[in-house]
Amino acid sequence: MSSYIEEFESKVKPKDYYDRLYDELVRLNPRLNAFNALIKPDKNGIPLSVKDNICVKGIEATASSKILKGYIPPFNATVVERVLKTKRFSIIGKTNMDEFGFGSFGINCEKPAKNPLDEERVAGGSSSGAAIATALLKYHVAIAESTGGSISAPAAFCGVVGFTPTYSVISRYGLIDYANSLDKIGFMARSADDIRVMLDITKGKDNRDSTSTDSKIVGLHHKKLVIIDELIDKVDEKIRSQFFEFVEKLKNLGYTVKNINLNEIDLSIPAYYLIAMAEASTNLAKFTGFKYGFKLNDFSKNYNEFFAEAREEFGTEAKRRVILGTFIRSASVKDKYYSKSLIIRKELIDKLSKVLKDAFLISPTMPIMPPKISEANSMSPVQNYATDILTIPPNLCGLPHISFPYSYSNGLPLSAQIVGSQFNDYGVISFVSEWEKNFEYKFKYNIGEI
Amino acid sequence: MEDKEFDRLLKISRIKLSEEEKQRIQNDIEGILRYFDSVDKFNEAKIKPAFHPIRIEGHPRGDKIEKFEDKDSLLSNTKTYRGFIIGPRI
Repeated sequence: MSSYIEEFESKVKPKDYYDRLYDELVRLNPRLNAFNALIKPDKNGIPLSVKDNICVKGIEATASSKILKGYIPPFNATVVERVLKTKRFSIIGKTNMDEFGFGSFGINCEKPAKNPLDEERVAGGSSSGAAIATALLKYHVAIAESTGGSISAPAAFCGVVGFTPTYSVISRYGLIDYANSLDKIGFMARSADDIRVMLDITKGKDNRDSTSTDSKIVGLHHKKLVIIDELIDKVDEKIRSQFFEFVEKLKNLGYTVKNINLNEIDLSIPAYYLIAMAEASTNLAKFTGFKYGFKLNDFSKNYNEFFAEAREEFGTEAKRRVILGTFIRSASVKDKYYSKSLIIRKELIDKLSKVLKDAFLISPTMPIMPPKISEANSMSPVQNYATDILTIPPNLCGLPHISFPYSYSNGLPLSAQIVGSQFNDYGVISFVSEWEKNFEYKFKYNIGEI
Repeated sequence: MEDKEFDRLLKISRIKLSEEEKQRIQNDIEGILRYFDSVDKFNEAKIKPAFHPIRIEGHPRGDKIEKFEDKDSLLSNTKTYRGFIIGPRI
């Protein structure tokens, strides 16, 4: 498949196309919890979903948090603005997610997301709804967001293509921040070519986001693949053996593969979480109970009492991260935790940049198959964080990466992740385009088929 | 982390927890911090910290007043009195 977007645009749609699409999603949503809001489009564009932490003018944005219930943004995020400006897309809904992006399984929210391929299992997170919507709809693109793996993880578990750009390539203006130095807006789709279309439309400097850049994005399609042994060692044995079969197929397609050691990679999880929590605890301070969504009515309370009462609306993981982030930033431990993490990030960027000069990194996307929701609920926070080991390094270092299915096992997808050097965004997309010439993805649902 | 220190942390975080939540989160935090302690073993004094993954030139926007036309929808996300946002006492 090359581009579902182009195929959709070339077809004549029945008059009631969007009515039927909407009705089908309304019917399925209570079962899967893919959308926080569904919208019946009034224009004939390609169905587009937007993660619920990205602002769309006039449509409630909650980031799946009770504290933002009722918040109606009076503006569009830049990414939304740029997409709508093309007049090729129609927004069909805001997608479910872990509260503020705090989670890898899509269950840290009011309505846990379910994997459409096996509804007892998690869809992955935090962009859970974006992945479910992509797995359900034949013609559709999702605007999603990743901080530490929130695009790759759900894309892998739901069997779709998930792309996270180099940090700064797509403006974050209008994103409800989790961690400013880590957040990246990206996309999910059913083909790499559709991802390329979205990147073409949305990339580039935005004066409203001082961290966005105009750096030239390149498309270097390397034939050398690198496997980091310390990462592969942490992958479930069954996934590992399937992954090596896939690597053999790639060798037959002309790729060379090199294994390397990178001891510091093990520090990427703690370094990532320390930075992310420190930044999250400051970002969440804006939710004070008198603006943005949830509001308290008792103005006789003093600021601290008022603020603390409003923050009771946060879920458990959000509370845990605010507490930890506040601790990490305190003067007595800042050097031990926060400053050290920034140094580790720099060390990893330098080392990975050298490796990626003439190669892509390749690994499975997730070290485990999607767990049952009950199993994910019983994991400790540390066990939970450890499942991000393969997605955190590129996110911590701002490297472009893409997840895509390479095989199936008992009806569930096995996905791999390709990581490129900073600004080689088109390179990783082109790798997957090439793969798609040799492999057909399987989809259980094709809602909206024409 | 001792109970007294945890209570102080809750106060400055402005987070209220039920007794059950407090016990659970305090235990979780102990485990998480033990896990995080590994970063302290990394010693490379010559490396400069990376505040962002890429080099940001950091040109702040000009200190200019811009008019936001849709004032009503902006204020609709707050409680107002005569056009002013109502907030708690200091």
